[in-house]
Amino acid sequence: MHATYVIWSKHMTKFFRNAEEALGLAIQSVLWVVLFGVGMRGIVTQVSGGDYLAFILPGIIALSALAGAVGGGMMLLDERLRGITKEYLVSPIPRLSILLGNAASTTTKALLQALLMLLIGVLMGVRLAGNPLGWLAALLLVGLFALGFSGIALAVAAVSRSIMGYHGMIFLFNLPLLFASNALYPLSVLPTWMRTLVLFNPTTYLIDAVRALAFGAEPTLGLFSSTAVILLFAILGIWLALTAFRRSIRR
Amino acid sequence: MATAAIETHGLVKRYGEVTAVAGVDLTIAPHNIYALLGPNGAGKTTTISMLTTLVPPTAGSAQVAGYDITSQARQVRRRIGVTFQDIVLDPDLTGRQVLDIHGKLYRMNRQERKTRITRLVELVQLEEAIDRRVKTYSGGMKRRLELARGLLTDPQILFLDEPTQGLDPQNRIGIWNYIRELNRERGMTLLLTTHYMEEAEVLAHAVGIIDHGKMVAEGKPASLVSALGADVIRVHGHGDQQHFLHTLGTLPFVEQVQIDEHDNLVQVFVDNGNRRLVEVVQAASGNGFRVEDIAVAQPSLGDVFLRHTGRTFRD
Ligand SMILES: Nc1ncnc2c1ncn2[C@@H]1O[C@H](COP(=O)(O)OP(=O)(O)O)[C@@H](O)[C@H]1O
Ligand SMILES: [Mg+2]
Repeated sequence: MHATYVIWSKHMTKFFRNAEEALGLAIQSVLWVVLFGVGMRGIVTQVSGGDYLAFILPGIIALSALAGAVGGGMMLLDERLRGITKEYLVSPIPRLSILLGNAASTTTKALLQALLMLLIGVLMGVRLAGNPLGWLAALLLVGLFALGFSGIALAVAAVSRSIMGYHGMIFLFNLPLLFASNALYPLSVLPTWMRTLVLFNPTTYLIDAVRALAFGAEPTLGLFSSTAVILLFAILGIWLALTAFRRSIRR
Repeated sequence: MATAAIETHGLVKRYGEVTAVAGVDLTIAPHNIYALLGPNGAGKTTTISMLTTLVPPTAGSAQVAGYDITSQARQVRRRIGVTFQDIVLDPDLTGRQVLDIHGKLYRMNRQERKTRITRLVELVQLEEAIDRRVKTYSGGMKRRLELARGLLTDPQILFLDEPTQGLDPQNRIGIWNYIRELNRERGMTLLLTTHYMEEAEVLAHAVGIIDHGKMVAEGKPASLVSALGADVIRVHGHGDQQHFLHTLGTLPFVEQVQIDEHDNLVQVFVDNGNRRLVEVVQAASGNGFRVEDIAVAQPSLGDVFLRHTGRTFRD
């Protein structure tokens, strides 16, 4: 646990020291919310009759968590290719902490970004649900989701031989995860075959739960099952990362 | 301490078809500096990687500080310091952050870290640069920072993989001085690899020469050298080399002969250079080998290396 904390704090130090990275993330968040929110609000009016920004914000947050996880995997890959992981590997710390430290910093960044996006959303007139505990629960789910996806990204990073290879592989399931979900359109308007597909995507459950918890929408999938799916996804992601990482160092 | 600092038995590492280390037996006494010498690709780095628990051996076993490298890896890791062959530093951190994070990984407390870092930064003369980001450092500064990092946790055994590779002579001599000082004052055991002959000659209590993953010679530098003969007569010239060599082989005082076709050089290792000089010249001229230049010298570790690997050291 201690080593996980040390590695987490190292990544956070680097993050805040690297003004461009922190600022870049903030600006990105603003742009996403403003452009997507305002642009789409003009075109789409018939969706659920309500506020399209509130509808789309969870999707944007999920997307940014995905992007954050890709960045976290990048960081591991970079440390691997530079040989920095060797410093960890010859020190008396558990192998798992190298991954957990990385996943934890990725998750922290994703949460900071989610918070910032919510704030911008509110400033732009989105109405939050009445219960602050719901907001907290929504953030928690975003954190779990980011953790799970970091796991997948870390697993890919642990086996990639190059940066190009990594991005190629990540690209394969990054886009489908966003588009084959309920991020941009409600489940009810999807054709049945698409809906089946979308229900295999953990992003769908996150978005549905966040809509309900933070923005007071009616949950279409059930909060309990959404939470279970996201939790399972997080565990699966970390397990995947650990397996791939173990294999990569047992050479 | 009676037990060896490092002991290996038939250590083997295979990467698919490639056998990087082909059965190395090695014993390093505590408080010694041991230099592993060998040409590129000989298996030095792979040996260090196994001893530092980075990669598991394919076969064989090894104890480091009395602990088994596979079954007691955690115990080994607590007691060693390592600098790798390639520079392994996070360019976005400052030198101080690099050291501080390293100390935290080993659970040193804040006060310990602070005092050790101050002392080590002084030792490696990085006071001015320590709060700058590593990406602004020169190669020599990075090496010194890595050395400080390897020493931070006060390891019992320090592994240095090519510690002076790519450094200018001034930096190199500086690092040699730290290494000697550490060994003398702290009694630290050091295993270093190098392909610089002088480095081993100047530093090591014992050297092992490794080639194609196998140990081809081992011992004190001085005894390895004296095994070749007391003196070497270097003969440069043209002509019938074969005949010359044959005649040399019949002379009783000749202990070794080496040829470097490339430089038209024949090296004759003898018991006494000055006394045998005339006979060697006669052996050459009587056989149609025209001598252009001749010199008597003491053999060096470089000659030992050539003898065992068939290769000269070219830096
Ligand atoms: N990870 C690896 N995969 C495949 N071959 C390797 C690997 N590491 C080293 N080798 C091979 O093993 C041999 C020894 O390499 P190395 O230990 O790095 O030698 P040295 O450090 O003496 O230059 C070389 O032929 C090298 O190509
Ligand atoms: Mg090497």
